[in-house]
Amino acid sequence: MPDGQTAVARVQEAFPQTVMQVGSMHGVPMLRLHKQDVPAVARYIHTDPQVLGSLSLLWAVDHRPREARYELCYLFTLAERKDWLLLSSDLAGGEREFASITPVVHAAKWYEREIRDLFGLIPVGHPDMRRLVRHEHWPKGSHPLKKDFVWDQVLERVQGEYAYRKMHGDGVFEIPVGPIHAGVIESGHFRLSVAGEPILQLEVRHFWKHRGVEKLFEQQRLTEAVPLAERVSGDTSVGHSVAYCQAVETLLGMTVPPRARYLRSLFLELERLHNHIGDVGAICNDTAYALAHAHCGRLKEQLMQLNDRLTGSRFLRGVNRVGGVVLDLSGPQLSQVDAELHAIEREFVEIETILFANASLTERLENTGVLSEHTAWDHAVMGVVGRASGVDRDLRRDRPFAAYHECQPKVAVYRYGDVRARMRVRLDEVHDSIRLIHTLRRQLPTGPVVALSVDPPTPGQWAISAVEGWRGEILYVVMAGEEGRIHRCKVRDPSFVHWPAIQWAAVGNIVPDFPLINKSFNLSYAGNDL
Amino acid sequence: MLQIGFVFMQLSMLLALSPFIVGVIRKVNARLQCRRGASLLQPYADLAKLFGKQPVISSTASWIFTAAPYIVFASTVAAGLLMPVFISHTPLSFAGNIIALVYMLALGTFFLILAGLDAGSTFGGMGSSREAIVATLAEPAMILSILAIALTAGSTNLSTIVHQSALLEGMVLAPPAHLMALAAMFIVTLAETGRVPVDNPATHLELTMIHEAMLLEYSGRYLALMEWAAGIKLLVFLTLLVNVFAPWGIATEATPSALATGVAVYVVKVTGLAVIIGVIESMFAKLRLFRVPELLGSAFILALLALVFFYTLRG
Repeated sequence: MPDGQTAVARVQEAFPQTVMQVGSMHGVPMLRLHKQDVPAVARYIHTDPQVLGSLSLLWAVDHRPREARYELCYLFTLAERKDWLLLSSDLAGGEREFASITPVVHAAKWYEREIRDLFGLIPVGHPDMRRLVRHEHWPKGSHPLKKDFVWDQVLERVQGEYAYRKMHGDGVFEIPVGPIHAGVIESGHFRLSVAGEPILQLEVRHFWKHRGVEKLFEQQRLTEAVPLAERVSGDTSVGHSVAYCQAVETLLGMTVPPRARYLRSLFLELERLHNHIGDVGAICNDTAYALAHAHCGRLKEQLMQLNDRLTGSRFLRGVNRVGGVVLDLSGPQLSQVDAELHAIEREFVEIETILFANASLTERLENTGVLSEHTAWDHAVMGVVGRASGVDRDLRRDRPFAAYHECQPKVAVYRYGDVRARMRVRLDEVHDSIRLIHTLRRQLPTGPVVALSVDPPTPGQWAISAVEGWRGEILYVVMAGEEGRIHRCKVRDPSFVHWPAIQWAAVGNIVPDFPLINKSFNLSYAGNDL
Repeated sequence: MLQIGFVFMQLSMLLALSPFIVGVIRKVNARLQCRRGASLLQPYADLAKLFGKQPVISSTASWIFTAAPYIVFASTVAAGLLMPVFISHTPLSFAGNIIALVYMLALGTFFLILAGLDAGSTFGGMGSSREAIVATLAEPAMILSILAIALTAGSTNLSTIVHQSALLEGMVLAPPAHLMALAAMFIVTLAETGRVPVDNPATHLELTMIHEAMLLEYSGRYLALMEWAAGIKLLVFLTLLVNVFAPWGIATEATPSALATGVAVYVVKVTGLAVIIGVIESMFAKLRLFRVPELLGSAFILALLALVFFYTLRG
């Protein structure tokens, strides 16, 4: 299996006429193409058994005012060695149409609809041209990521209707759920088409609370946007802030001191721990097994209080900064972490024993909400959901960042793709996170925790950063603007990839099992709806 | 005169004790989850609060929606008056036997199902269709299991059944049949009163609800009546369990000391049973909806076996 460079060579060999230019940006091999050639090359990269690229990110950039062109970038993760390969093409001189790759690379479908909504560029040949982000009440021509869109304007409200996919037949009914829910749940709409209890089709419609996060980034300076990144998805503050910081550090050519890298890994694992333990309890609660929920909730609370004592924030906000971390942990604090985690793991093992011994629980979780390996591949699913469906991907091992190349995380992979597999991935990762935190603490180097700042990068330079958050791969692309400002910041939470996939996991299950399936994915609404 | 007094005593006991029983189950759940839990009297406060609130009624609802709470409440209370509670001679036993009781409860369920459909909301209809499945499957198991005991007594009149087995003072004529009928009735109780593993009274997830889904559109005093009726129904089932299958201690004559013992023993027994249900709720996950018929099917088989054993063992 090839690495990035060999893959580039293979593509050049297969398409000798079409590749305009081969380059690389911060180590990522990059092919520049004519826009009409992109679908063919993307198809080759996606399907060639020697390359097998999975679409990780697709984003657009408006280069105005420096240059009057839009750029489309396609980031692929290659199968075996998880190297990256980037395709890019230009839309110059007022062109607004580009060839959709969705017919050949299914995972592109939401990205292209998102680009259409936010940039007003049209993916010609896309099988689903309905609006995604821009709900029907947005006025015509409002594309917030175009550079001529004023970020703080108030839009008028217009009328419009979204066309849900309809199913017809005797006894087929639609069940609309949300966007307002009975519990503490964010705004999301689920349209179930059912025949009796079995689900024939699920359509997820989100993006009810577009905050304009990517536009807000463009109003900020490179070094000052960390608080915004922390708030993209509230339960993944560390994941998002580390991803953002890493991208900016690459741009500024900063080397993060070893101690800061270790502390970042440590905070990432603390974030993974409290979220995973909370999720295990929440999955049990949706089967009405409230006992496990109560105990997992207690452990989660202990962990969040530990976070609070260490950093002053239960969600670990305000920990990262560009160049390193804000807080250093003292020796006594670290021993406190060790002691507390030993106690928590002891209790967690006990809960685990109860969970595995409970046949009524296992019966509910097994074979519920199966996401097949094939569907997972088609949607480029990764993270917890992917690893439960046999997708052996984990950035901590595949593209080590922070201190992960020095502590060997174990990657838990299951093949069944059901609710139980997703719970087992979490159970395994809880243990591994605790082990990693102990290891990180033992190996923690001494020294400063923040690098000194360097001169701002040249405008137009960009960097990609990838972090394995507790949900999965968080990707940031940051492009520098004039005078240390941000020209473009593309944010990709794993939820954006997993929401379309959940539609397939629900099909064939019965209605009362859907909340359980949804909980086992536990996707972010805010991280999806930027 | 004394008889009328007993009727009122039984009525007030059912009304007054039912929120307490709900409170006991919630408390047991809370304690097993390491929570302190709400006070045992919280369900009373909830009812008082709801009775004081203005009800909101959907503009698409018909008269069924507003009539149903009264019908459900009245039929459940009436069912409660047909069975012995603390004295084995039920004053109203002339009015109907065990079959009347079962169908009095079914009447309430029927109107509850109609009410769920009536407002035309998404989740109400779902709850109604599920409740209809559960009720239909639970009913035969319930009748058969009580019939197994009725055969021992030679009567379908609950007073006669309870009185005769109470007089036996701990003796059971056909223990295997008795136990199997008890198990069947216990499963029916969990299903009919919407407890885990059949339904989850504590969930906020509309898609998984059975009983609660039918009540989603209700508010104010209507909701209070529905909640109270659900509590009384739970108490009726617990009472059937303790009095039909273990009536020892119930007052068999109308002397003050026997009555006092009868009331005390009754309260202790139903509270104990509520604790057991609370523990069971904490031990199990809810069944997948399509497994519920299997559970109720096994209850039916148990009840049927009880009948067979009764005949074969009597020899």
